Amino acid sequence: MGFSGDDKTRIVVLKALVLLLGLLYGIRLFSLQIIRGTEFEAKANRYAIQSVKIPAARGEIYDRTNTIPFVTNDEAFSVEIVPAELPASKREQVFERLAEILNLKLTEIRRKIPASYYHLYQRIAISSSASYLAITKIAEHKEDFPGVYWNSRPIRRYLDIGSLSHVLGYVGEIGRDEYKLLYNKGYSSDDVIGKTGIEKFYDGTLKGQDGFLRKTVDVKGKGLAGEAERLEAPIPGKKLVLTIDAAIQKTAEKALGNRMGSVIVLKPNTGEILAMVSYPWYDPSIFSSSNSGEEYLKLLNDPNKPLLNRAIQSSYPPASTFKTVLSTAILEEKAISPNTTITCRGFMEYGGRTWNCWVHSPGHGPVNLQQALAHSCDIYYWTVGRDNLGVEKIISYAGDYGYGKPTGIDIPGENAGFIPTPRWKEESYRERWNPGDTMNISIGQGYLLATPIQVANMMAMVVNDGVVYRPHVVKEIRDGETGALIQSSRPEILTDSSISASTFKTLREDLRSVISYGSARVPVSTKAVLVAGKTGTAEIGLKDRWHSWFAAFGPYDAKPEEQVVVVTMVEASNPWEWWAPYASNLIFQSIFAGQDAEAAAKTLGLSLEGQHLRGRAE
Amino acid sequence: MRHFQLPKFISGLDYFILILALLLTAFGIASIYSAGIDSEGVRFSNEYSKQIIWAVSGLGIMIAAMALDISRLKDYTVFAYMAILLLLLYTRFAGRVVNGARSWIGVGEYGIQPAEFAKIITILFLARYLDLSDQSSSFKRLIASLGITGIPVLLILSQPDFGSALVFFPILIVMLYVGGIDRRYILFILLSIGFTFIFLMLPLAGRYFFPGGNILDLFFQRPGYVVMLSGLFLIALALSLWGWLVFKKQYYFWLSYGLSVLDLSIVLALAGHKVLKDYQIMRLMVFLNPNVDPQGAGWNIIQSVTAIGSGGLAGKGFLQGTQSHARFIPQQSTDFIFSIIAEEWGFLGGLLLVALFCFLLYRMLGLVSSTKDRYSMLVCGGFFGMFAFHFMINVGMAIGIMPITGIPLYFISYGGSSLWAAFMAIGFLLGISSRRYRM
Repeated sequence: MGFSGDDKTRIVVLKALVLLLGLLYGIRLFSLQIIRGTEFEAKANRYAIQSVKIPAARGEIYDRTNTIPFVTNDEAFSVEIVPAELPASKREQVFERLAEILNLKLTEIRRKIPASYYHLYQRIAISSSASYLAITKIAEHKEDFPGVYWNSRPIRRYLDIGSLSHVLGYVGEIGRDEYKLLYNKGYSSDDVIGKTGIEKFYDGTLKGQDGFLRKTVDVKGKGLAGEAERLEAPIPGKKLVLTIDAAIQKTAEKALGNRMGSVIVLKPNTGEILAMVSYPWYDPSIFSSSNSGEEYLKLLNDPNKPLLNRAIQSSYPPASTFKTVLSTAILEEKAISPNTTITCRGFMEYGGRTWNCWVHSPGHGPVNLQQALAHSCDIYYWTVGRDNLGVEKIISYAGDYGYGKPTGIDIPGENAGFIPTPRWKEESYRERWNPGDTMNISIGQGYLLATPIQVANMMAMVVNDGVVYRPHVVKEIRDGETGALIQSSRPEILTDSSISASTFKTLREDLRSVISYGSARVPVSTKAVLVAGKTGTAEIGLKDRWHSWFAAFGPYDAKPEEQVVVVTMVEASNPWEWWAPYASNLIFQSIFAGQDAEAAAKTLGLSLEGQHLRGRAE
Repeated sequence: MRHFQLPKFISGLDYFILILALLLTAFGIASIYSAGIDSEGVRFSNEYSKQIIWAVSGLGIMIAAMALDISRLKDYTVFAYMAILLLLLYTRFAGRVVNGARSWIGVGEYGIQPAEFAKIITILFLARYLDLSDQSSSFKRLIASLGITGIPVLLILSQPDFGSALVFFPILIVMLYVGGIDRRYILFILLSIGFTFIFLMLPLAGRYFFPGGNILDLFFQRPGYVVMLSGLFLIALALSLWGWLVFKKQYYFWLSYGLSVLDLSIVLALAGHKVLKDYQIMRLMVFLNPNVDPQGAGWNIIQSVTAIGSGGLAGKGFLQGTQSHARFIPQQSTDFIFSIIAEEWGFLGGLLLVALFCFLLYRMLGLVSSTKDRYSMLVCGGFFGMFAFHFMINVGMAIGIMPITGIPLYFISYGGSSLWAAFMAIGFLLGISSRRYRM
């Protein structure tokens, strides 16, 4: 088979193209290597721009007076190794000495710098919390530590914050998943980031912007003489001023003592949190320590769940505190005249079972609405809730008060609580809602769940004639360097209910009667302030222990802006001592008499260690 | 019935091709060895020993390929083609992800890239089609050839492995050219590819190369203008097509031709913008001026050119490269293997390598014109296109005059699949060379 002339031409064209390509590349190589060879050689000898990150100091956190620091930063250093600059002959020796100086395990260093990294010119951090002293030791013998570098890396210092751990939260190295989410928001893979509390919620505010020191280095990574370093200064994070009152926080902490539960002190006319305690608490500075992993696991596995902020992240049956909602509904709906009495004989029969009031036979006798609330009579609320209100109205008023949805507090991880509905019960249990369920919800039991912050908001609404402000813990954002005010938080209306002011007025009187002659007369003994509030004792199926609630406000006769709301919740897991009203009593005494916890306890004749009580109380 | 005679077979081989291939492979192993050494002289990678294993086994593949008389097996290429499509499909969904592309299949540390073998099989099958369709119209052959190449290209693009997909186009063009398709069509493809690249790059070029608001930005940052512009082109195309059909004037033909190129390029560029990320397009064009993005896309080019330039006339000596051993050059043993060679062996070494490759390509073209049948000729042409393109892009990228596409330098770059594919192709070429004088 022969080929036409045309075929031959095509081959010749292709051959010419190959020769042209070879010629072109040869010329290019000649130009790069012969003509400009010296230029590139010089360039090669002083190449690469090394940039060293200068971490920005994280914003500090202060109390509401902007005078008492809660969180500051300590000087600390990260120690980094450039493995390729560390000669093989010295490697083991350097590792051992570093382990000794930095108080690290040798295996830890080896894990961070495996053999496959030995040729790398990247900086690999082996410690992020080395002390100034450790760094001086390395610096004094720098020649013994080839390829070892350090960097200022301030670490978070939590001052004497005690029970503020849940509010403040803690910081840690950014996780892989967090990094993916925040990739476009100026975070880098070795950043420290807030993990919980306001450290997390306000991370963007506290974080600041890292600076860089850039210098030109030669092939071996050495800085060049005569080449100026260029500095981009870091911008420190902003300072936060909290709404927390350090004295009240301390009192609340001592009033709760080591009982599992929580305390919230709230300014109802702004939504400012003056104190928030959740017990058990923890020490956030362990997360900056070298063995943070172990400590974290310990906290995580503790059966008492110290990482949980019980004030906003736990929900419980609100029990009799919920009778406040029922009373509101009864008054507003005029479901029954406030003067009509219902006779409590200590028990009632319904649905084939006996329902016992918390006071057994002979019971409370005939009670009207105010007396029912004052003595927390179950029979009254069971009857009126079932016969005069009905479940839909109860649910509707619970919703008005903010139950079943988060309050939007500026601390992450809030629990929404739960309001059961007939439809929900049908869908999840395949059972119809029966009047017995309505009776349960009427006294705050059954499937109903509420967080302490929701109960506090309920009291705030009563104080404010139907307005609830979003609870918050940050009062001001200030410049990290100058301290100049950048932004201060304004009261933000969360709920503005249409319930009439007269209903709230009556309700406040009724809540006052709880203390003046009702169930909390004995425990709330303070003379410093007139307190109004509601007790609650939640049954959770234990024979001799109950969740103990006390939700209150005072001074009862003052304007809303002078009032505080105190909610104390003591879990049933503690030995029974009906502690919530006593703790609240102590807090009110302390705030309004200007005493510390010990002095207040002395005035009230109360032992902070607690008391032994037998039998249930409301 | 022909008798197979071993001595005659051996004496007929094109020894230049064989020796060049072996020389280049040895050159490659030495360079990979050097790439695995750090500046302290400590070896941190044993890629070179793996490459030796690939090379030795590759020789076996080459001998097997040599023994196959492919012109007698050409009727079976359709099955191989089907099989490789299925394998690509399997890779697409169940393959392993390496460097962001689902392009590997295999067990444990060992795997192959089916795309490498897809090139070879597509060459064999396309050659078979072009050989059979000799009497058909150029247009029909063009469309069918585009289809045959297009399917594996789309599968490989979806992995996504842009570089490997790109290689199919020069293969197609060389084979169409050798296969005698009307040159106007070949010119059409070349122009369309060229304009597609231009349109693909324009928006980013506006942003990076001529910052600060200009006419390019105006058109390509706003989709409305692009739609309007392509609409105008389409109308003009319709008018000139009508003119051509009615008046039968050459003038209208070339007008339609040019407008079709522009229209097609705009559509392809728009599709390209949908498929490719900005940084990928940036990699394609940054060689024009690597300093617009010295820390990003331009980094590789600047480092590579610096390494090569600093090599000077005779180089820094084997294992003595400072740039390549001091971390600056990424993908040293694969994409940027040429920079280590030119740094350590200098201009003389770099030129030698270019000369060896050009000589190999030249010999392949010699084989194209001396084959005994059209099928073998087309196969040789396809392999020539494959080797030529890899060489042109890879070396061109290292010396800073070609886009960065991440395709290996055959024989030299580290990698089992590309080495095996190269030896397989060489085997087929040697087989053809030995059988060419027998009738």
